[in-house]
Amino acid sequence: MSKKRKIVSLTIFFAIVALLIIGIVLTNGKAANEETIKEVMRDAVLHENNKINLFGVIEVNPGLISAFIVSGALIIFALIVRIFVIPKFTLVPGKFQYGLEKTVGLFSSISEENSPHKSYFIGGYIFVAGIYIFISTLFELLGLQAITTTGSHVILPAPLSDINGAIAMGVLSYGVILFGGLINAGPKGMLNALKDFSLPISMSFRLFGALLSGALVTELVYYYQLTSILLPIIVGILFTLLHAFIQAYVLITLVSIFYGESSERKPKKQKTKKRGKINE
Amino acid sequence: MPLNIDLQQVLLHMLNFTILFFALYFLLYKPIKKFNSKRADYFKEMEAKSGGMLEEANKIKDEYEAKMAKADEEIEKMKESAADEASKKSEKIITNAKQEANSIILQAKTRANKEKKAILSSANKEIRDLAEQAAEKIVMEGTLESYESFLDSVDIPESEENE
Repeated sequence: MSKKRKIVSLTIFFAIVALLIIGIVLTNGKAANEETIKEVMRDAVLHENNKINLFGVIEVNPGLISAFIVSGALIIFALIVRIFVIPKFTLVPGKFQYGLEKTVGLFSSISEENSPHKSYFIGGYIFVAGIYIFISTLFELLGLQAITTTGSHVILPAPLSDINGAIAMGVLSYGVILFGGLINAGPKGMLNALKDFSLPISMSFRLFGALLSGALVTELVYYYQLTSILLPIIVGILFTLLHAFIQAYVLITLVSIFYGESSERKPKKQKTKKRGKINE
Repeated sequence: MPLNIDLQQVLLHMLNFTILFFALYFLLYKPIKKFNSKRADYFKEMEAKSGGMLEEANKIKDEYEAKMAKADEEIEKMKESAADEASKKSEKIITNAKQEANSIILQAKTRANKEKKAILSSANKEIRDLAEQAAEKIVMEGTLESYESFLDSVDIPESEENE
């Protein structure tokens, strides 16, 4: 038996033993949750019980803490890139530079496509919103834990699965559309955006619903021990990746389309002179 | 509030996103866009420059081709004129040679004629002298012997030469 084969055999043996031990531990009745599935689901939607103390000032939902962590990480990343990477940009890009340029170019092209007359600002907005939605949705995969005010542990969820976060995103996006219309096309543009008054509600609840459903499925899968062994690989990673991408794409597309509509200056209609009757 | 909506937390989320927006917009989006547009401008400039250079090169090529065509024409002309000149020169040389030959022949002929005339005149003179001498002798001696001796005297120069 060669050395390589010996190593492979030993690895397989230890893997099987480890899996069996995990199975034995997980099937032990003592590992059951203290909360019922009903309570877990209700809390995932409403965040009534599991609150986190923010700097000892106010009690907030875990989603807000997730939002702060994601934003902090993104800002630090942006700072590092701005200081150390962007000044060293070359005409022929490397892999990282190409990735950055491609990401910016993607959002820029979406904004130019949907809002051809005014696209620079909205390109920046959908760039930040898209990255925020995508990264913050993936954030729940990390499974970071925080201590609640009741002393129990809670896994930090995606910031937008918190209704407050989703409303903030929807209202801010609507504000951008509304004021974009006012600045670029005058009061007519603003009125055009005001016609779609249901937009902030639909955007907020679409985000909330999509991300909450993902969170609920994940909670459900993790609640039962048997389903929490292999299933999370599919549910946790693939579903999260998929709805992170879809929600980011849907929001940025909607915002850029509505922004394009509201900020478009429509040409004035030429008044046609009424023709008088010949025999008048 | 229904669904546990908390206005304060909504505002906190808004504040969080606003800060994030400004940070990412000014730290990433704007500089990268600026770099991209700078690069696009650079390549546009390069394209324009290369277009200009190509135009210039085409111009130079056209000029060169025109010059080459002109040079070919000139060479052809020069060849023609050289050939003309050469043929003219050769003709001249040939005519000169012919003239010289003719003059040489003419000179030779005149000299030959002159010599012929001189020989003929000297021969006539000799014959005349001999005839005179013979007549003198005949007249002086008036005999056959004298005639034979005359004949012998005619042969004398030959025997004298043989001796």
